[in-house]
Amino acid sequence: MSQHSIQQPKTLVWDIAVRVFHWALVGAVLLAFVTADLFGATWLTYHIWAGASAAGLVVARLIWGVTGSTYARLASFVTGPRETLRHLRDLVTGRAPRHLGHNPLGGWMILGLIAVVLGLAASGVAQLGGIFKTGPLGFAVSYATGEQLSELHEVFANLLLILIGLHIIGALFESWRTRENLPLAMVTGKKERRNGDHQVSQAKAMPWLAALLVATALGGAIWGARQLTARPAFGAAVAVLDPTYAAECSECHQAFNPSLMTAANWVLLMQALPDHFGEDASFDDQKQKQLTDWLVQNAADTADTKASHRLRATDPATPYTLTKTRFWTSKHRDIADETFKRAPIFSRSNCSACHSDAESGQFFPPNATLPNEAK
Amino acid sequence: MIKTALLILTTSALLVGGQAVHADPARDKIIADLARAAGTTLSAQRGQAFFTGTHSGGKPDSPSCSTCHTKDMRKPGATRVGKPIDPMAVSVTRDRFTDPEKVAKWFKRNCNSVLGRECTATEQGDILTWLSSL
Repeated sequence: MSQHSIQQPKTLVWDIAVRVFHWALVGAVLLAFVTADLFGATWLTYHIWAGASAAGLVVARLIWGVTGSTYARLASFVTGPRETLRHLRDLVTGRAPRHLGHNPLGGWMILGLIAVVLGLAASGVAQLGGIFKTGPLGFAVSYATGEQLSELHEVFANLLLILIGLHIIGALFESWRTRENLPLAMVTGKKERRNGDHQVSQAKAMPWLAALLVATALGGAIWGARQLTARPAFGAAVAVLDPTYAAECSECHQAFNPSLMTAANWVLLMQALPDHFGEDASFDDQKQKQLTDWLVQNAADTADTKASHRLRATDPATPYTLTKTRFWTSKHRDIADETFKRAPIFSRSNCSACHSDAESGQFFPPNATLPNEAK
Repeated sequence: MIKTALLILTTSALLVGGQAVHADPARDKIIADLARAAGTTLSAQRGQAFFTGTHSGGKPDSPSCSTCHTKDMRKPGATRVGKPIDPMAVSVTRDRFTDPEKVAKWFKRNCNSVLGRECTATEQGDILTWLSSL
């Protein structure tokens, strides 16, 4: 601690709401990055909750930005381009005044961080809807759009990393420039009051109004999200398997959702039933026609799920062997041969041994777990 | 455990039925029809030899009925993707061979898989006679 700071009186700059928000957002963003990049797709549920929390925190922060205490207010740190440029010029010439709250550049950083977090949340929800047909936008977004939005989501994520880096550099630079530990101030909330500080108009916090607005906004968002989530998904696979199909095919193996394969390949498979993966699985004519018709009516061509799109491209030499598609092999490349052979999996074709939602054709990554070895 | 359960089942079946151990009108009719078509006396012993023996002419992965059904008819078998098959012994799976359509469907499929042809009435009748006696 410098001599300087002992002499100067400390004043509360960052109120408790700002500080809790800041570090909670750090935690949510950190969790979102870790679950996305390090832990993989089976952690998607945690990633979604981390992202939703970050979005909720940011919304609450914006509300606090118009109802909070002096330095929490957007009006105290959001400046026009002219003032921002002047601050930049003053920085270069070494004449920039000290701001107790955010300086103009810091203010823009806050807005940028908030905007990118909201962009991440929006693109994430849309991508979730398009690719996995779940969440509030599952009813509205196509798979193709979902894939495009996933790239946008990644762009936003990289942008957020850059902004976070700049934010940290800015905080450290300003700490050095004003000889004050700014990261610590975000913990204690207190900073020195000094002569020549940039003056802002004082504002009184309205915590009850803020609480009411936040509760309304988040409650409304949750209610709306649930309403939308309940809508039938866009291009969902057939939800209920035909009872004859389910009974007949599951005598030997799980009943595959018809959306996993094209109509043309189902027809080929059905025609070749007398030699079905090395066994005779033929039907009488009446059942053969009934099952083929149902499969064709609900084939991949009629669905918009990820599995229906990605498993569609089968090898012409093995037109109905899904486990030989490039998508399938690349997704399962880390799983050893012996793992597939052991109980209770036994076979690569036994999707439902690990994917609890295999029959629905959804294959949501968090629904996949390698089962323990059975005795 | 299983043995005790079997014992109880068998005993109660004996008490209730009071005659053939696993009698069932539908199954008796299927076997009787096969016997008529075969024109000969059916043999459980022949059925066992045929069922557990190794054959050629069928698909390479299934040279015997026992490939999937195992040689212990009181234990479950497994399809080639690991799905359990109920035990074939009528004493364990009580509703075995009571649905003529199902019997015909699986004889057609599995004889083709194991032997590359349909099974004769004698072969089918022998097998059912054996499995019904267990």
